[in-house]
Amino acid sequence: MKHQLLTAMRGIGNENWGNCQDPPEEPADLSSMPPRHKLSIHQVSYTIRERFGPWWDIGSYWKKWTREILKDISLYVESGQILGILGSSGSGKTTLLDAISGRLRRKGTFLGEVCVNGQRLEREEFQDCFSYVLQNETLLSNLTVQETLSYTAKLAIREGSKDFFQNRALCLLQVEAVMAEMSLSHLANKLIGKRASGRISSGERRLISIAAQLLQDPKVMLFDEPTTGLDCMTANQIVVLLSTLAHRNRIVILTIHQPRSELFQLFDKIALMSCGELVFCGTPVEMIDFFTDCNYPCPEHSNPFDFYMDLTSVDTQSKEREIETYKRVQLIGSAYKTSVIYQQTLENIKRVKHLQTLPPVPFKTKDSPGTLTKLGILLRKITRNLLRDKMAVSVRLIQNVVMALPLMFFILQLRNDVLKGAVQDRVGLFYTCVAGLPYTGMLNALAFFPALRAVSDQQSQDGLYQKWQMLLAYILHVLPFSILSVAMFSSVLYWSLGMHPEMARFGYFSAAVFVPHLAGELLTLVLLGVVQNTNIVNSVVALLTVAGVLVGSGFLRNINEMPIPLKILGYVLFQKYGSEILIVNEFYGLNFTCGDSNGSAGNPLCLFTHGNEYIETSYPGATSRFTTNFVILYAFIPLLVFLGIIVFKIRDYLISR
Amino acid sequence: MIENLHLQSDMKNLSREQDLSDSVFFSENDNSLYFTYSGQSNTLEIRDLNYQIKGASHMPWYEQLTEFKMPYLWNRGQDSPVLVIQNLNLKVRSGQMLAIMGSSGYGKSSLLDVITCRERGGKVKSGQILINGQPSTPQLVKKCIAHVRQQDSLLPNLTVWETLLFVAQLRLPRASSHAERKKRVEEVIAELRLRQCANTRVGNEYVRGVSGGERRRVSIGVQLLWNPGILILDEPTSGLDSFTSHNLVKTLSRLAKGNRLVLISLHQPRSDIFKLFDLVLLMTSGITIYSGAARDMVKYFTGIGYPCPRYSNPADFYVDLTSIDRKDSQREMASREKVKSLAALFLKKVRDFDDFLWRAGESVLNVSEEPRSHIISEKTINVSSPSYHQLPGSMQQFTILIRRQISNDFRDLPTLLINGLEALLMSMIIGFLYYGHGEIQHSYMDMAALLFLIGSLVPFPVILHVIAKCHSERAMLYHELEDGMYSAGPYFFAKVLGEIPEHCTYVVIYGIPIYWLANLRPEPNHFMLSFLLMWLVVYCNRTMALWCAASLPTLHLSYFMVNALFNSFYLAGGFIISIENLWTVPAWISKVSPLRWCYEGLMQIQFNGLTYMMQFGNITIPVEGDRIVDALDLNSYPLYASYAVIAGISIVFVVFYYLSLRFIKQKSSQDW
Repeated sequence: MKHQLLTAMRGIGNENWGNCQDPPEEPADLSSMPPRHKLSIHQVSYTIRERFGPWWDIGSYWKKWTREILKDISLYVESGQILGILGSSGSGKTTLLDAISGRLRRKGTFLGEVCVNGQRLEREEFQDCFSYVLQNETLLSNLTVQETLSYTAKLAIREGSKDFFQNRALCLLQVEAVMAEMSLSHLANKLIGKRASGRISSGERRLISIAAQLLQDPKVMLFDEPTTGLDCMTANQIVVLLSTLAHRNRIVILTIHQPRSELFQLFDKIALMSCGELVFCGTPVEMIDFFTDCNYPCPEHSNPFDFYMDLTSVDTQSKEREIETYKRVQLIGSAYKTSVIYQQTLENIKRVKHLQTLPPVPFKTKDSPGTLTKLGILLRKITRNLLRDKMAVSVRLIQNVVMALPLMFFILQLRNDVLKGAVQDRVGLFYTCVAGLPYTGMLNALAFFPALRAVSDQQSQDGLYQKWQMLLAYILHVLPFSILSVAMFSSVLYWSLGMHPEMARFGYFSAAVFVPHLAGELLTLVLLGVVQNTNIVNSVVALLTVAGVLVGSGFLRNINEMPIPLKILGYVLFQKYGSEILIVNEFYGLNFTCGDSNGSAGNPLCLFTHGNEYIETSYPGATSRFTTNFVILYAFIPLLVFLGIIVFKIRDYLISR
Repeated sequence: MIENLHLQSDMKNLSREQDLSDSVFFSENDNSLYFTYSGQSNTLEIRDLNYQIKGASHMPWYEQLTEFKMPYLWNRGQDSPVLVIQNLNLKVRSGQMLAIMGSSGYGKSSLLDVITCRERGGKVKSGQILINGQPSTPQLVKKCIAHVRQQDSLLPNLTVWETLLFVAQLRLPRASSHAERKKRVEEVIAELRLRQCANTRVGNEYVRGVSGGERRRVSIGVQLLWNPGILILDEPTSGLDSFTSHNLVKTLSRLAKGNRLVLISLHQPRSDIFKLFDLVLLMTSGITIYSGAARDMVKYFTGIGYPCPRYSNPADFYVDLTSIDRKDSQREMASREKVKSLAALFLKKVRDFDDFLWRAGESVLNVSEEPRSHIISEKTINVSSPSYHQLPGSMQQFTILIRRQISNDFRDLPTLLINGLEALLMSMIIGFLYYGHGEIQHSYMDMAALLFLIGSLVPFPVILHVIAKCHSERAMLYHELEDGMYSAGPYFFAKVLGEIPEHCTYVVIYGIPIYWLANLRPEPNHFMLSFLLMWLVVYCNRTMALWCAASLPTLHLSYFMVNALFNSFYLAGGFIISIENLWTVPAWISKVSPLRWCYEGLMQIQFNGLTYMMQFGNITIPVEGDRIVDALDLNSYPLYASYAVIAGISIVFVVFYYLSLRFIKQKSSQDW
């Protein structure tokens, strides 16, 4: 029976089968072959303390219980081997990968050690050593496959030569090599695409994210469920591909959900997990032997993966079933712990640790370009992505003009008659500018930044760059669009409503409304750094901008009469400086009329005849502060950028928490 | 035991393995959990179906707009329609489970769409679908088909147990008792192995909850609960681990044996799952390659020269064999040719049978018919009188929905906190800004500004929340309405009334601190009148947001629409630009702007009948409040007009909301 199975497997095995015979214990001559790296995971356990129930069930909410997610797991893998981790959902597969790659959340207790070539890694070293491909790929949709990869390559690699063109050529060569390796060459110039129609398939997306990892030439690669959500053929192709990657002197570890029988012989090692325990780990041949010895031979015409996985799953249908199946798992687990295979693993781990000459830890290509170069690459990357999206570009440009339209529609023309709303209309207009432009800035940031944030979260964990660099690149690439769109907004609004007809004043107006627009976007970016949910960010920014206008602008409330704390608060708001500039710019030297030929002299509104009087009563001394206000107003931009950089540095910590 | 009958027919010396597999999975003879379906037995028949979809033009209009295609170009799609189902013939009866297999592509999901009358941009070119001999219509589908979709749409803050219990209340016959419903929910939870997470909340991408696989099972449980005659599942096992999916398909096959018709589509069934199928339909890009008994599939393909290698899963092998390799054009051509010849071969072989199923010998297919009789006898609940099938009435639906909504909303602690804090912060800022307990009395302009702000600033965050929330629940609403779980009316009332407690709390948190801090007129009647007006204006904006969210297909369009409306109301509110200076069109808008009426009402309440001290330099002149209001042109209508107009506008929005729910498909583009 067992014999039949083995011969059959050999029969249908493809060319890879030949490569993955048991690897020799030690390479014969180290000089000719690249060094074999060894990854050992020694007695790893991970526990977290969790609340028992949901918050509204107060009794159980205050109780905490300790959940063991990983229990005493030891593994040993060498270069050239592919290890598949199997297990039902909730068995701790992904947590094990997280533990290996050093991406565990900080709140749990982690015991045991992960060593590469016998050396324990520091927390920071993990991301430089392992590449980790997550389940969901984050790719920018308006770049072609080749562009996606070559930008990654440029971020990862600095070639020795200083010559720009040569450098570029080398990058291209590398990208082409990787694309050929992943058989993506036929897609090189295809856009990744956004919607279900007209985008590349999900299998191809996954291949791209694997290819992106390969560009950094990692020696240890981890994959979380690389085949989920793909059809069978693509899933197969990906696993075959991963095994060829492994056989090029890499360590490949993957978790897998519904493996197919043909894949059985592709793996060099298979680990079975159940309830956080390692039930078995060994070669396919050992696996069949082991389970046959445990009196569970794999039946004919059935997938050994499935059979063994079912055998080691705990069925929670009813209490009795649960106990029964759990016992079986325990039995198999303890049989494994006493088996020769397990002893061998432990011995291997020990041997590597006490080796005379430890080979160095195989870090990924660490020779990455400098900060400025990276920033430039990122800037080019996201600018190209934005420019390809006609929709995004036009939204960015037209949005502000669209906001100006209702204002123009309602006001039509500014008048000088106080009784016809000369002051009221102007104040209302400035109020809408100072309150509305941050809002459009926020909408821009909310629409376009979250996608980039996802990309930067992932790529920064791969060690390509840091999150704040993406933030800075984003800000730089929106600057021209913001300037252009505010210029369009102000030129339409200013001239059509008939504000002060002096060219210089138009310039001041545009310059003053630009800051609120940009500040709205920057503020949103800062908040997006700490809050994941965009709807929450939306309402918080809306609240902040409205509160800022209320307190800072003085349009709705005379600043002199405000309580002292709010007055002080006003000094840190950009709205204060912006609105002072706008008021002075428009009202200075403006003459008012009041009704027809002083007929209604008794009207209290007719007190103002000059704009200067209005300025002096509402914003005393604002005229003399004109330049200072401009300086302070523009100081808000670098300040917010700086704040954003700090927040995104904190985000690094938040994400890994 | 039926299980064994199947397997023994084409495999030898399996007895030992069968025992083993029985010990791995639970044995078949344990209690049958589901009551069998005892309505008339159903037949689903598909005759000569040809179904095509147009390439790009089945994109919805709003997506076309975003692609900058002008409306007159929409129907001029350059890509010709694609035939995704060709010449499909099929006949399935109750008691059978048909699995539709094939590599990904249009075919499988489109077929399920056609059967359930949900043609998304496609067109049935010829042929028909008959359920029990009648052509299928949406009403018929609602009554007898349960459809488990690929995406999960569930309320995130209910626990698994509650989710299922609410559905049980909505979906189980009116006559069943509470205990029965509970029992049913427990059975479904046990069957789907959800016992461990029964008291965990469901969660979504933002709220932590059960795992993805568990959520998938909850979605299946929702449909299993109501025990339908025909059960259709679209990729039920994707994302599940092998053990769970085996048990799930096993459950499904047992459900089928209980006189039901089960239709599932699958990518790549595992070998052990494949063994559980009765009938298999193997399709490649819409072309039928094989349809017939699952256990005869290997025999059929061996017969035409494609034997299945040992130790390989026949499902995998034949799906691969027939899938079209799109790697390069040459291979694609070759594989297309192969598929065409295989399809032609199959058509030739089954032409003589009326149900278009291939069979090895004449006698084999009757196996599934025969054992059904003894299963029916083991009903657990006696389902007899027709009145038993009556679902809960509108009133009951309403009470269930409102309870479900309130329990979901109440548990969303972060959102509640954020809403509350926002209201409080806003109210504090405005209140302190116009702090009125000091020595100096506010100038009349400051008072006017305060009163305008009270009515116009707060509704806006409410609008944003309402829209975000409605869109997050939209997919669920769409599916449940489509399933006929309840109708638009009860949902509408539950939504409108269920929001009132939250709304009241919000207005209290917001209104009272401002009123007190700004030291507005302290007499109870003035306070009550102002409070009522605030309550109304916020509610009016809420209904506006509800309507915008229900009538437009995407979140962004809704935001845009609501912003446009709110801004017009705001600018026409009478404060930013005075009412008398508005030209004709804005003046009309101002007539229907709730913000303007709120402003007008508050001004009248706070100023009329009060003498106001006005300072001009050093002189203080007493001015009657009425005169100030007159000067601002806000006294032209009596006070009650403000209430009446705002209430009227709210009612109009509420009616619009109902009409949108009733007549606009609540399909949101965020579904996928």
